[in-house]
Amino acid sequence: MEKAVAKAAAVDGRSVGSNRLGGIVNQVGIYGVALLFILLGAALQGAGIINNFLSAQNFFNIIDAVALLGIVAVGMAFVTYSGHYADMSVPTTMALTGIVAVELLSFGFVQALLAALAVGLAIGLINAVVVGKFKANPIIWTLAMNYVTMGIIRFVWVNKQIYPDMKTDDKLTVALFDNIFRYRFFNVVGLPVVVMLVMMVLAHILMTRTAYGAQLKLTGSARKAARFSGINVDKVVGIAFLLAAFTATVGGLTVTSLSRVGAWYNGAGYDFRAVTAVVIGGMTLAGGRGSIIGVMGGAFVIGLMNNIMTLLGIGTFSQDMIRGAIFIVVVGINAKSLRSLGRDDA
Amino acid sequence: MRSKHSTLTWVDKNRIFLLFAVVSIFMSLFAPRFFNVFNLTAIMKTVAMNACVAIGFTIVMICGQLDLSIGTVITFAGVLGLVLKGPLGYAVSVPVAIAAGAAVGLFNGLLVAKAKINSFIVTLGTMTILQGAIYTMTKGNTVSLSTPDAFVVADFLAKPLLPLVTPRILITVALVLVAEVFLRRTRSGRNFFLVGGNRNTAWLAGIKTDAYIIVAFVLSGALAAVGGVFFAMESSAATLKLGDQSLMYVLSATIIGGTAMSGGKGGVFRTVVAILTLEMLYTGIILFGFGNEVKIFIAGLILATVVLYEAYAVYKHEREVGKRPELVKELEAAAAAKTAGSPRR
Repeated sequence: MEKAVAKAAAVDGRSVGSNRLGGIVNQVGIYGVALLFILLGAALQGAGIINNFLSAQNFFNIIDAVALLGIVAVGMAFVTYSGHYADMSVPTTMALTGIVAVELLSFGFVQALLAALAVGLAIGLINAVVVGKFKANPIIWTLAMNYVTMGIIRFVWVNKQIYPDMKTDDKLTVALFDNIFRYRFFNVVGLPVVVMLVMMVLAHILMTRTAYGAQLKLTGSARKAARFSGINVDKVVGIAFLLAAFTATVGGLTVTSLSRVGAWYNGAGYDFRAVTAVVIGGMTLAGGRGSIIGVMGGAFVIGLMNNIMTLLGIGTFSQDMIRGAIFIVVVGINAKSLRSLGRDDA
Repeated sequence: MRSKHSTLTWVDKNRIFLLFAVVSIFMSLFAPRFFNVFNLTAIMKTVAMNACVAIGFTIVMICGQLDLSIGTVITFAGVLGLVLKGPLGYAVSVPVAIAAGAAVGLFNGLLVAKAKINSFIVTLGTMTILQGAIYTMTKGNTVSLSTPDAFVVADFLAKPLLPLVTPRILITVALVLVAEVFLRRTRSGRNFFLVGGNRNTAWLAGIKTDAYIIVAFVLSGALAAVGGVFFAMESSAATLKLGDQSLMYVLSATIIGGTAMSGGKGGVFRTVVAILTLEMLYTGIILFGFGNEVKIFIAGLILATVVLYEAYAVYKHEREVGKRPELVKELEAAAAAKTAGSPRR
């Protein structure tokens, strides 16, 4: 694994950093940080402060806990990679698609999922046109889109939470929807984890092995240069937003199925969490740098961090503060090393 | 042709004042129980908070940056002001709360200007940190005061000196006027526009761009805190959702008011008129008997429409930049003359 990361770093040209701290961070990548956290956890367990950190069960817990975040972060990574910072409409896209799926369960399981997918992609398409073609400020537009979607949810469903068994009498459909994401392969690996891994592999191939990936990299690095070399940049950027909406939809269905309720607050906070995973995974906001392998590491590190903090007995809200602080520090180091390469993040 | 074009430009430039006139006349005529002192006072109470916050937010946007942390700064300052009032009294707790807001702004500004991190990501980070801080401080409960002296202060702030004009509104109006005059009439004020218009040019012209960006964020933090803490004092209570709606509200108002998303253009007074217009509109919606849900829905739609309109205007402008319709016509005319002339020769 380390070798693959080093190779990815070399391909990205990230190892050129002359700044020492940034250089080290770029060289070892996020997996070095992960290793540090594992050592920290091991040290804490050795000192007898926490228990059960170094156990197979705990590692499966960590991976289970970050599966949802990983799924959403994959799509977000494409938006960041295209140089458009982030898709802030992810939280309500997750909520709305989940609600739509539950609402339409009476038409059948597959139909409900397809309808949810259509809704999610519609949101993505709007983002794609407005940001890709009309070049609206991506943050402000997707934030506006987030409010619109929230408005739709509140307008149609008011404050109601909807449960699958309220919407259909078909026991089988309800059971299927409520339990599908709880399914465990070999009683160990949960379906969300498998979905995350499949999406990450596909995304990695898309980003590194296809023409679209190359076009996206050039668009993210230098949009004008990409346009003058004949790339349809509007389309390339638009597809990135569609991918983000797609993964948000899958994430929305996952969270709705796991919580067994469709509600407006499903997905709240996933904008920030996904951006965190993407950015501490080494993908920079300037666009065109980083890899899906890094993003996977970013999600894993967040999981490790949460796990250690929970084992230490730190409260949820204090965890928020620590996560926010670590996030800013990591972004700061990234920006510093980028500047030493002559590229500003701002 | 030209006069029509310039009329449209004039309308677009002054759209917020026209919208204000339309909304206020429409609501006064048609919305039930709209035009009375009680309702207008209620409108002014919310406007006083958001107008205050909007001053700083607009300055940050003029600098070409974005401050997503204002909503949590409002709540944080409101909660902090009330929590510290118990042991210290308002005379200390209010300045401390405002200073805390300014400190958050300083933190944002330093990271944006000196560490060169994108402002959206910095303020997203501080937003998360503050949310944690708010919940840690309050353990998730609403903070409310019920001591007599707190009520005295609350009554003083809310008591109209003239119809509608409460001391809190006077404070806000004073702040808006100072900010507007500062931005329009002083050299340092106008430099904010230069920094937002083109940071490199501004730097080459000898402006300390970093300092201006830091000051903009400090003002944004401090003014958000002022808005939050005075609102909390007037209510003698601070819920944990105090500033939740403000980001959308202030962002919409700033853009409707004509401040450019890319920076370098805009004004505080216009934003505040937009805040007033939006609040009248939202209150009107409620008075017409629609629920809060409809209000949230329409608020989102308005923001999206305005952003889309602005983006489309820029898109159209950029397509037309460099095109020379009169030159094309001339060439066509020359070609036509040539084809018409050639048979004769």
